[in-house]
Amino acid sequence: MSHDLALVWLAEAAVFTLVVAGILAERPWALGATGAAIVAAGALVRFVPRLGTTLAGAFARRRPAALGAGVVLALALPLALRSSPYWTFVATLALLYVTIGQGLNLQIGTAGVINLAGAAFAGLGGYSVGLLTVAAGWPSWLAVLVGPWVAVAVGTILFVPILKTRGHYLALVTIAFVFIFNILMNNLEFTGGPQGIKNIPTLRLLGHAFTTKPVLAGVELPSHANFYYAALVMAGLTTWVLRRLHDSWLGLALNTLRDDEIAARCCGVSITRGKLLAFSIGNFFIGLGGAFYAVMVGFVSPPDFDFGYSLVMLSVIIIGGVDSIPGVVLGACLLVPLPERFRFLHEYRLLLYGVVIVVMLLYRPQGLWPAQVRRYR
Amino acid sequence: MSVSPSLLEVAGLTVRFGGLVALDGVDVVVAEGETVGVIGPNGSGKTTFFNALTGLLVPAAGEIVFLGRRLAGLEAHAIARLGIARTFQASRLCLALSVFDNILIGMHAGRRTGVVDFVVRRGRFLGEMRTAIERVSHLLALFNGDLPRRGFERVGQLPQIDRRRVEICRALAAEPKLLLLDEPSAGMNPEETAELMRDLQIVREEMPGLSVIIIEHDMFVIEGVSQRVVAFNYGRKIAEGSFAEIAGHEEVREAYLGKEAARA
Repeated sequence: MSHDLALVWLAEAAVFTLVVAGILAERPWALGATGAAIVAAGALVRFVPRLGTTLAGAFARRRPAALGAGVVLALALPLALRSSPYWTFVATLALLYVTIGQGLNLQIGTAGVINLAGAAFAGLGGYSVGLLTVAAGWPSWLAVLVGPWVAVAVGTILFVPILKTRGHYLALVTIAFVFIFNILMNNLEFTGGPQGIKNIPTLRLLGHAFTTKPVLAGVELPSHANFYYAALVMAGLTTWVLRRLHDSWLGLALNTLRDDEIAARCCGVSITRGKLLAFSIGNFFIGLGGAFYAVMVGFVSPPDFDFGYSLVMLSVIIIGGVDSIPGVVLGACLLVPLPERFRFLHEYRLLLYGVVIVVMLLYRPQGLWPAQVRRYR
Repeated sequence: MSVSPSLLEVAGLTVRFGGLVALDGVDVVVAEGETVGVIGPNGSGKTTFFNALTGLLVPAAGEIVFLGRRLAGLEAHAIARLGIARTFQASRLCLALSVFDNILIGMHAGRRTGVVDFVVRRGRFLGEMRTAIERVSHLLALFNGDLPRRGFERVGQLPQIDRRRVEICRALAAEPKLLLLDEPSAGMNPEETAELMRDLQIVREEMPGLSVIIIEHDMFVIEGVSQRVVAFNYGRKIAEGSFAEIAGHEEVREAYLGKEAARA
């Protein structure tokens, strides 16, 4: 039905317009009007049940078209935001959090392995890139591909003995690990101490350095648009892979051992192997996000990977929906840009995350986009 | 009755919790295709017996031989893969997962596709899944023709009796050689218990080679389904025989009713 198609594209265009307007609105009246429009749109979908179900049905019937239009809009975002280059950077950051969030969600959401060391594993990826490029002279792209494996290796070696423990011990150990990682990075000579590692060379593609401004259809875009598009590919691939892993024997086994270890063992699921797989695969994508961050900003230092960022990563999952692949995307796209918009709250960001997590856990523990039943399609 | 080869041989099985002897030198033999009932008062070691068989507990002494293989030192998941499946007294379903998922996990150990298939050669995995879901639907339909239709609903939305059926299907999905049922009628009313007995009869007919050990408090169920009964008390096996023999056994009557009443 072309009716569905129009509805889907209209809804997506409306969301895109509201997002761009919300970001770019400067004057108080414009910001107020955009805010009111967003609230009104949300309330309309929420409180007019027929509209909600019609939209959901249209999206379900027109999935490829909806995805295609979504991709087009995501590609167009830097174009729409070109008057304010900083926001392309923020959007790229959100995409990094999508990548990291998907990895962390496999651990926390799917397997119930509470990892609060997300920042440290991202840091392992980032510092590996710094050391491999600056100290060892590797090309950046190779370092970005190798960095995540360092996160996987360290995580696997350090945590094999601990993965066998039950309950909250693992969570406690991962908290300790973030702090140990930070202390080490601050004090070790070869990681640059508190200054970190500077002058990480940028990525290049066919001789085109990512720091030069790309020109798209005759329009010059901010230089961060290069990273934005690369991060879009990365986040898209990560989401695609993790969605397939989630809807598979692996995701099913991990869900079962998360909900009931004894039942899982009696069904032939090896708890140690399952948790280790989830932990390693998850750390790969967390490390990948960190590695990409390092080449994007060009330096790494200890405060970039402190415990607070672990909490941001955790809130992405809780806001979006624990064990929900689309939820992670939504969570990252909401949680990363919003504090930037509300600059005046910036120093209280951690407090804001804390409040948001508590409110969500109390009133909507399943998240904004709850996990759906596996359909194996 | 012809003598069939024994599938499971348990000899001198002893389990200790600190100073408490929960199982004390238990010997049980189960033949292929046989259904053995296990009775005994609360705390007599019946569930402990199952937990030791499935590797959830490590025995202090004794030997378990399954299919000619000693199970000592094997982890629970490895024992499950050898062909021992079980249900639990208190339901151990994952309520947030779908009916199909709760049963499919039983087939997890027999999967033929791996991570590469899940991500890249998706068609292979989906093909395997389609066959698996068909088999699960067939199993569900044996007990309740309405259940396959509800396969993608969360299991938490099913009534108690259907949840018990899902749990039995999960155990059967693994195509086990030995099925352990831990008090399947727990928490059921008489009508549901009658339905459950019919279900167990169906299992017998559909899978004649399957051996079953069933723990039950409901003597009606024990009488109806088991060919042989073993009685436990204080962690020891106190009697073994046909239902009639056990029902008349003095020590068994004492264990359930107390010395005075048993004599009266």
